[in-house]
Amino acid sequence: MEVRLHGRGGQGGVTCAKILAATWSHLGMSVQAFGDYSGERSGAPVRAYLRVDSSPVVNRNKVYAPDHVLVLDHALCDAAAVLGLRPGGTLIVNTMEDPGALAERFPGYRTATVDATGIAREHGIGSRSVVIVNTTIAGAFARIMGLPFEALEAAFTAMHVERDLPAARAAWDAVRVHEAQGAPRAAPASAAAAPILDLVDHVVGAAPALRTGAWRSTRPVYQTRPAPCSTACPAGNDVVGFTRALATDGPEAASEILARTSPFASVCGRVCAGYCGHACNREAMDEAVNTRGIERWIGDHATIARADQPQTGRRAAVIGAGPAGISAAYQLARAGWRVDLLDAADRPGGLLRSGIPPWRLPREVLDREVDAVLAMGVHWQGGRRVGPAELPALAGEYDAVILATGQSKVMDLDVPGRELNGIEQGLEFLHDANLGLATQISGHVVVIGGGNTAMDCARSALRRGAAQVTVVYRRTRAEMPAIPEEVEEAEEEGVQFRFLRAPLGVYGSDLVGGVELAVMESNPNGGAPTMSEGRDWIACDSVILAIGQRADPATLLPEGWTIRHGQVHALETPLPVFATGDLATGEGTVAHAIGDGARIALQARAWFDECKPAGPRPKGVVRHSEMRFSYFDAIPRLPARKRPAAERVAHSTEVDLGIEDGREADRCMSCGHCTHCDTCLVYCPEGIILRAGDGYGVDLSQCKGCGVCARECPRASIQMVAE
Amino acid sequence: MSHEPLLDGMVGTKRDRTEPLLRAGNTNCGGCGMSVILQLLGRAAADHPLQLVIPACCGIVTAGPFPCSAYGAPVMAATFASAAAAATGLSWVAQLNDEKTRVCCFAGDGGTFDIGFATLSATAERNEDVLYICYDNEIYGNTGGQRSSATPLGASTTTTPTGKTVRKKDVLGIIAAHGVPYVATISLAHPEDAMRKLRYALNARGFRFLHVLAPCPTGWKSEPGDGIELVRLAVRSGLYPVYEVFDGDRAVVNVQSAQDDEALSRYFSLQGRFRRSQVDISSVRAEISRTWRRIAAWT
Amino acid sequence: MSVQLLTANHAAAMAAASAGRANRTARGFGSGVYPITPQTECIEYLSGLEIERGKVVLVESEHSAMAVCMGFSLGGARSFTASSSNGLAYMAENVYAASAYRLPIVMMAVNRTLGPPWNIWVDHGDTLMLRDMGWVQVYCEDNQEVHDMLLAAFRLGEDPRVLLPVMVCQDAFVLSHTLMSTDVAEQPAVDAFLPPLQLPHRLDTRARTVGGLDFPHEAEVHRRQLHETMGRLPLVWKEVQAAFVETFGRTLPDPVVGYRLEDADVAIVCMGTTAATARVVVDQLRAEGINAGSLRVVMMRPFPGEALREALAHVAKVAVVDRDLSPGIGGILWTELCGTTGHPMAQGYIVGIGGGDVRPEHLARVVADLRGRSTAGQPLIVEVA
Repeated sequence: MEVRLHGRGGQGGVTCAKILAATWSHLGMSVQAFGDYSGERSGAPVRAYLRVDSSPVVNRNKVYAPDHVLVLDHALCDAAAVLGLRPGGTLIVNTMEDPGALAERFPGYRTATVDATGIAREHGIGSRSVVIVNTTIAGAFARIMGLPFEALEAAFTAMHVERDLPAARAAWDAVRVHEAQGAPRAAPASAAAAPILDLVDHVVGAAPALRTGAWRSTRPVYQTRPAPCSTACPAGNDVVGFTRALATDGPEAASEILARTSPFASVCGRVCAGYCGHACNREAMDEAVNTRGIERWIGDHATIARADQPQTGRRAAVIGAGPAGISAAYQLARAGWRVDLLDAADRPGGLLRSGIPPWRLPREVLDREVDAVLAMGVHWQGGRRVGPAELPALAGEYDAVILATGQSKVMDLDVPGRELNGIEQGLEFLHDANLGLATQISGHVVVIGGGNTAMDCARSALRRGAAQVTVVYRRTRAEMPAIPEEVEEAEEEGVQFRFLRAPLGVYGSDLVGGVELAVMESNPNGGAPTMSEGRDWIACDSVILAIGQRADPATLLPEGWTIRHGQVHALETPLPVFATGDLATGEGTVAHAIGDGARIALQARAWFDECKPAGPRPKGVVRHSEMRFSYFDAIPRLPARKRPAAERVAHSTEVDLGIEDGREADRCMSCGHCTHCDTCLVYCPEGIILRAGDGYGVDLSQCKGCGVCARECPRASIQMVAE
Repeated sequence: MSHEPLLDGMVGTKRDRTEPLLRAGNTNCGGCGMSVILQLLGRAAADHPLQLVIPACCGIVTAGPFPCSAYGAPVMAATFASAAAAATGLSWVAQLNDEKTRVCCFAGDGGTFDIGFATLSATAERNEDVLYICYDNEIYGNTGGQRSSATPLGASTTTTPTGKTVRKKDVLGIIAAHGVPYVATISLAHPEDAMRKLRYALNARGFRFLHVLAPCPTGWKSEPGDGIELVRLAVRSGLYPVYEVFDGDRAVVNVQSAQDDEALSRYFSLQGRFRRSQVDISSVRAEISRTWRRIAAWT
Repeated sequence: MSVQLLTANHAAAMAAASAGRANRTARGFGSGVYPITPQTECIEYLSGLEIERGKVVLVESEHSAMAVCMGFSLGGARSFTASSSNGLAYMAENVYAASAYRLPIVMMAVNRTLGPPWNIWVDHGDTLMLRDMGWVQVYCEDNQEVHDMLLAAFRLGEDPRVLLPVMVCQDAFVLSHTLMSTDVAEQPAVDAFLPPLQLPHRLDTRARTVGGLDFPHEAEVHRRQLHETMGRLPLVWKEVQAAFVETFGRTLPDPVVGYRLEDADVAIVCMGTTAATARVVVDQLRAEGINAGSLRVVMMRPFPGEALREALAHVAKVAVVDRDLSPGIGGILWTELCGTTGHPMAQGYIVGIGGGDVRPEHLARVVADLRGRSTAGQPLIVEVA
């Protein structure tokens, strides 16, 4: 019996022949196994031969008329593979293909198939790119030849490959056979060989005709993958997009990208917690890119150009002109809707205006961006408080109504002494302070709470005359929900902190005299702290409560109306009324509000079949471990410039002056986004990556699938996928 | 600034070679480091006339069967030990005929550190107008991975199954000691530096020697895609100093090495050839320090 | 013409230099050389001669010497080197490569016994070791012939129908260091005799690999092509002989040269300077009434089997005198003569290996032995004390 094996260098075809020889030898047969030796390398087609006989094998020629053919790589299963195969002989192939399908291509032979590559890969035999299938397919072949598995076991042991027996066993179990039908096709006539040139002939050497693409088991695929900054942005900004655009094309191009998702670059670049920067992969290398600073710089330096959109004829009313409402109005206006923006206040902005102090968000900055939205045809109707009585009419009047009234109900403190004079709600304090109403405060002010409102209150109190300000928070500093930068700034300005303290009561007679605090114990598991026996007191002159707020849909929705997944239902009937921002989500940040406003605009438009609703967050975010930091020089982060503490407190001027210029954008590594850096082009060992269109193309007829391009891509935008 | 685009964006522009020096359809293993240096060499040479002299090694098998040629330049296949001598002849013909042809030996470590060493030394001593590039995969790759004098301490080969117990020959130092105009090591992980050196060496006259650590996935038992990263780790760990020496007396270190142990362990862990090694990492570190002390004395 | 008193080494160097100069209008001349006794004088002279558009590279070994010549030759230059004995053994790998690449390099080989043990004197074992390497081999008899043969070797090897390297062999000391009158070719005559070298497959700027891979069929065909070229060579040699006599007025020997063979009953067949001694012995034997003749094999490759068969057809007994020994079989000339002529009585003798001074009495002893035999037997080693 003669067998011919077709494999590739590195797959172990010759060893496979030797293992099979050892198997038959164990059964007392005379055997012979050998390979073709040539100049070709890992991946190149290689043949091996096996002879088995009950009498001594004497023929030492290669096998030209095999009884069986074993193909280790399905790409090699062609007419050449079956050349000379005796009618009725077995053709066994490593493939996922069905043996019946194989039989159709190769009639007249008994066909057998097994996915040896899959099995070998599962058993971890070989490397990622070069899976070694010889031992696996040997199991299938032994089964087809009717050999006992014990003989195979003996051969594996003799050849020191017993570790691969489970894979051989799996292939033994998995192999499928299709009996021979019909007659084999005639072999194609071989072309007459070209005459061989003399060495003294001057021949210009042509490139070898070898198609090395057939060696490959994985191939490179260029893909744009989500960058962590962009996926982290609650507003849905294409952070990597605008940052790169600033670096390569300047602020206008960057602004154009920002404008797709947000009307509030200058605002958000000042008041956002900077989720993008916290997610930045560069943090693992030197320091995160100051993407918030970049956003602000773009917002402050680009002109706001809003192209007129073709009108759809649809009209919407947006109730509530905070960030969520304006974001929704903005997106609808961009989509060609006519939008009326209704709010109880006399200027749009919501908490941006009433809750955030001007020294964090100068009013001219806010007005510039708000006015730009109004300039798009968003019709401002200030002083309009909408309640349950008005809403049904509005819902009938407009194609859609967007509710964005935020969290209107502030949390209160239920402790003895709450009724004393000198206790004030933080948001009210800020409202008055921000709008320039009389809010002089003096003496020692205690602010209760750990969020941004608490920080704003504490710092506003300093600016409004307080001699001393102490923030009391029931957890640790690290657990404060406030933006750490704001906490640091507060500290610089002289605000004091007492952590792990919860108010038990306020003492004093008529006027506040001080607060009694319980000493809290941190919960090591991260849960709520527990109250200890310890007590603490702070003598003070006033108390500001900044312990949170919540939505209060009852002040807005008629009886029987509920919000489900952002849409308002009257009992079971969905209405063209949508809720967004803090009213719906309670996330409580400007960025979340902008993102949710845009999302709800999309949802409203989807209700009218204008578009699809927003999809889920993209998967496959580039992790820092996938980045090639070695391609990037360490450059210090460009920090925001700050006014000195004393100056900013004294004059209530803007604290943060932003970054000096836009060159911080050059630090962006463009995670998952090809920048045409040519690394793949330069490193392709075959030189078969070419410029194509806006990116690169790979000549797959030659690509050997080595994976250097993917491994070296500085920004993980090439992936190797199995063939 | 980040390093982009690589090589100043020359690839595919007029400054690039019209035809690649190493053509597709060659039989090199996927991820072969020798292929990468050939791509860089082609770019550095651009369209200047180049003649390659390649001894018996993987690099000549690369050319493919007669009458094909996977090289986009004229190539003389020399016998194993003869590359530098054969190149001497070709180089003189070019000089005698006032031709601008640059003659370049392209040889593996076997043909350079071992069998071709005497010839190499003599050619350097005569200061022939030859550029000699050694692509060093640290084994006899063409014969299936036996140790050469370029095999590093600790590496398993088919003839040193438990790891080589003696150090690698410092061929660069020896050639530099001939006082030739230029010798340099080339890191594939630093393409700009590599390109600068290739260009400098192509333009300089007299004997120039470039040593390239060329990852061999087959012999090093590593992932084909990991080659460049391995070179990077070799540089970072201090195993492979990136430097150049002018006229045998002025050395310049081109890439500062952190010489860090983490890079060294990672370099070892990514390669099967160090898995069975009985050489511990501290002796490799001592060897690295010795190398750097020698370079420091030179600079 | 200028007749000078020269050693054969010196004559060889002058021939090589003038051949080199003759290619100054083409791609020049180059030589890689390395000293070895008794060839050293040749390269010393060569290094001292002015050669326009020429370069002599002083290398570190014979192996490199031939590699340098291959570089020169493949670059299109005329190329020459000289070596001997162990140097040839060390060079052997590249000797093979030079012919495989079809490079018309000319080498002057001084025949010296291979060591160790060390022996610097003449025998032919060194160059005969290289007889299967695809080179043309000629063996000279005197200084003039060394000089002339070298000039002819360039013309022969560089002929576009040939393109093979040529080894011009001469006996150590007997010729190499022996001063004799030599008619040295004038440069204009050499220029006329040697056309500029046009190597069709020279390495230029076009992409190609010379000496890459040959799969079995290609290898077979390329070897056959080389063999067939050897077959064409005697015809080209006739043309070279004619051109030589026309240019220089001197003749070049045929591949085999007979002496008083016409009516000979016995003949001595040999190579190199032994042939001159053989002629002396023939004359002595003739004087004694013995119908002796002799035959010099000038060209060892291609082997002149047909010419030998014809020349010896009527000679009853042939003494093949080898100055070499292939242990286990005997003389190489003898085995090849037997194999190609099928002569019924060719007896092998080995005389003067290791540099023994082969005198007429040694050859007379050979003839006496041969005449006493009725059939040929095992080769006989005649000791030369």
